[in-house]
Amino acid sequence: MNKRRVAVIAGLAAAAIALTGCASGAGDNGGGEAGGGTLTYLEPQTWITLYPPAGGFYPNGGVVNQITDRLLYQNPETLELEPWIAEELPEVNADATEYTFTLREGVTYSDGTPLDAENVVKNIDLFAKGDPDRALSVSEAINNYDRGEVVDERTVKFYFSAPSPGFAQAVSTINSGLLSSDTLDRTGEEFGPGNATEIIGSGPFVIADEKIGSELDLTTREDYDWAPPSRDHQGAAQIDGVNFIVAGEASVRVGTVVSGQADIARTIPAPDEGQFVGDTLSLVAAPTNGVNNGLNLRFGHPLLEDIKVRQAIIAGIDRQTIVDTLFTDSYPLATGVLAKSARGYVDTSEFYEFDQDRAKQLLDEAGWVEGSDGIREKDGQKLTLTFNEALPQPRSKEVVTLIQEQLAEIGIGVEIFAGDQVAQDEAQKDIDTIQVYHSMVGRADFDVLKSQLYSANRNAALNLNNTTGEVTDPELDTLLAQIASVPTVDERQAASAAAQQRIAEQAYVLPLFEEPQVFGLQSRVQGFSTESIGRPSFYEVTLEK
Amino acid sequence: MSLRVLLRRVGQAFLVLALAYTGAYVLLSALPGDAVMARYGSPDLGLSTEQIAEIRESYGIDRPVILRYFESIGAFLRGDFGYSVQSGAKVSDLIAEALPSTLALAGIALVGAVFLAVVIAFTASYGKGTWLRRLFRNLPPLFISLPVFWIGIILIQVFSFRLGLIPVIGASPAQAIILPAITLMIPIAAPLAQVFLRSIDEVREQPFVSVVRARGASTSWLLWRNVAPNALLPALTMAGLLFGELVGGAIVTEAVFGRVGIGNLTAQAVANRDTPVLLAVVVIATVVFVTINLAVDLLYPVLDARLRRRGSGGRAARRDPAFVDAPMETAAIDGSALDAVAPGSGPGSAPETDRPGGTR
Repeated sequence: MNKRRVAVIAGLAAAAIALTGCASGAGDNGGGEAGGGTLTYLEPQTWITLYPPAGGFYPNGGVVNQITDRLLYQNPETLELEPWIAEELPEVNADATEYTFTLREGVTYSDGTPLDAENVVKNIDLFAKGDPDRALSVSEAINNYDRGEVVDERTVKFYFSAPSPGFAQAVSTINSGLLSSDTLDRTGEEFGPGNATEIIGSGPFVIADEKIGSELDLTTREDYDWAPPSRDHQGAAQIDGVNFIVAGEASVRVGTVVSGQADIARTIPAPDEGQFVGDTLSLVAAPTNGVNNGLNLRFGHPLLEDIKVRQAIIAGIDRQTIVDTLFTDSYPLATGVLAKSARGYVDTSEFYEFDQDRAKQLLDEAGWVEGSDGIREKDGQKLTLTFNEALPQPRSKEVVTLIQEQLAEIGIGVEIFAGDQVAQDEAQKDIDTIQVYHSMVGRADFDVLKSQLYSANRNAALNLNNTTGEVTDPELDTLLAQIASVPTVDERQAASAAAQQRIAEQAYVLPLFEEPQVFGLQSRVQGFSTESIGRPSFYEVTLEK
Repeated sequence: MSLRVLLRRVGQAFLVLALAYTGAYVLLSALPGDAVMARYGSPDLGLSTEQIAEIRESYGIDRPVILRYFESIGAFLRGDFGYSVQSGAKVSDLIAEALPSTLALAGIALVGAVFLAVVIAFTASYGKGTWLRRLFRNLPPLFISLPVFWIGIILIQVFSFRLGLIPVIGASPAQAIILPAITLMIPIAAPLAQVFLRSIDEVREQPFVSVVRARGASTSWLLWRNVAPNALLPALTMAGLLFGELVGGAIVTEAVFGRVGIGNLTAQAVANRDTPVLLAVVVIATVVFVTINLAVDLLYPVLDARLRRRGSGGRAARRDPAFVDAPMETAAIDGSALDAVAPGSGPGSAPETDRPGGTR
């Protein structure tokens, strides 16, 4: 009996050793001497569509940025526009209603078809107008579009019904990633998972293989020779390819990179940043150059109509403590509605001073008296506000929970709306459900402010009340519309500053911090960069052996 | 069992299926938002209300719920599961791609769980040393209270990141299934082990055990010839419950380990309100669940002579699986019927038995 038991244990041990024996040696990336190895990239979420205008969701954009080129290149450092597929910056008429681009010669898609004037017009026509019958949406970045025109094989001209000063920047974003003519004939579904290998772009990488919901294999395009002239590297990428792997569990992503089983992971939670120290690991916190992570106070709601209440909420929230408690140095405290590096930024930090005594005084002046449960009341109404939980934003629930504690001290009640992303999207449209909307937008153009708050765009503060159809503050709308309709940079700068001033003075928004995209890397990864709002770019990456 | 009873059983199974489908449909319709909103309503796209309305129209999702409900039933009866709103892929393709890996995971986990449960029960009853027996006796309550996702994360941390034994990325299919199977095994083994343990306890109290022992039976003889048959019935009763555990566990396990499978498909469909995929998963899960329970019901009389009574499908003797600790009936070794079935006792009620006064 005992002998037999020993034999069994020995057998099990042998089996275990055999199993682990197979496991060793699985960690190398299989790169030959000539090629530069394959990069393993971990992504928290699954991509949904590769249709560029709908690519705003980071997992989509992360793929689109590798496989498509754009007419212009936005330098992520300076945010200046530079030539790319267009040989030079476009000729623009005085009121920004006509744009003329001259295309580079010899650019081809990975299926061999040429990237010519006809194809570019077909691209921009679709992106600017969408096609509801095929469930293809309009690009948010292209405004007032009328039509495109093929002047000759290498020249295209676009006409607009009203000034469209943001168009040059719009064609530099992944939302205007150029696709082959055949690809543009696909329906909305045919841009979805299961079709990745058939989405044809002209970019430095080509999608070779897809496992729905879990993996995407990109291989380097050897004959790629039209990188933005201003980039350090030219020609084909130096790595053999990129392996996108979906790993939803943050601890798994972090551990996989830290233990050397993967090269890069996106979205490293702030508490885990400390693990990326030492020689073998590094951290990249890429700015998103847009509207900061913040709270939109929906001033059309009866509880928030009074500017004193809004000012009290802003004075009652200790942003520094929130950032210190929940985040790291990668998340700088916001000094305005826009990030410091955003186009059109002005400093309005004087409006966001933390001062609870002043907050209480403001609420007293506004006639809100503390009730029996510590929450203030007026005319039998409690001052209790519902915040959403911004699922895409880092630690939103913890942020709102801290705010709940802080506002309780000045007698304001806070409730958190729980629910999945679809429920959140639906709820935020209704001012009676969500009164304080936590969100952010990344886009490196003046227009980003309009995108976030304008009544016909995201309408984050619900300036346009969806139930009554009324605009609460027409002046704000006018100022925002101005940003997207004056033709010169100086005028746009002034318009953006005026809108920011209005938002700060009226206490419409409390910006919290400048939200980054945080990547964790193995140090052997060199040359990793991001585009202007923090989407990864693997084009210049090299892997040290 | 008469044909009439069999038909009634099958009829009931179909009723359960129809109710599950309707329930899922109603719940999904009642939630705010729908699949089209999930895909196009995100503020990230900055689409206006009119633009979204146009897209909804092209999907036909703006028509009355009741109309779409009957249409979807018709499609299901034709075997057409429709298309995923989220990805546009055929739901049948998605399921076909995900099913094999989930079946492999569930199968290995189930076999492992049975093995683990037998080991625990045996060691807790016949292990050497009181402390060992006591330790193993307390394992099932411990296992049942460990959260599945936590087990998974701990296993990855220890075996993959710390010891580097199994890679998370680029593992061979065999390597990739080891940790998830262990993760899923543990919560399933717990109730099984508890059932076996109880059975062993019950039988050991029986007078016949002394007789069998006196005639020179070894411990293993007792276990396999006398205890195991007695434990079979309650273990079978657990089958339906275990399947539920398997499905729930697979969702969490596949999400943690990033495996492609029905569990992961379900998790993503829930997050994205992908109604066609969810309904297909509900139907498949219900069919399996109902089939398992039907098979168990029909097997009872085959396995237990005492339940072969005309007009009774053996249902009365089924115990509520939620109470693993319900008193077990006992059987004599010669299989003579104790006839412990209380007539008219409904499903899930424990039969009245003369329970031998045993201390646990």
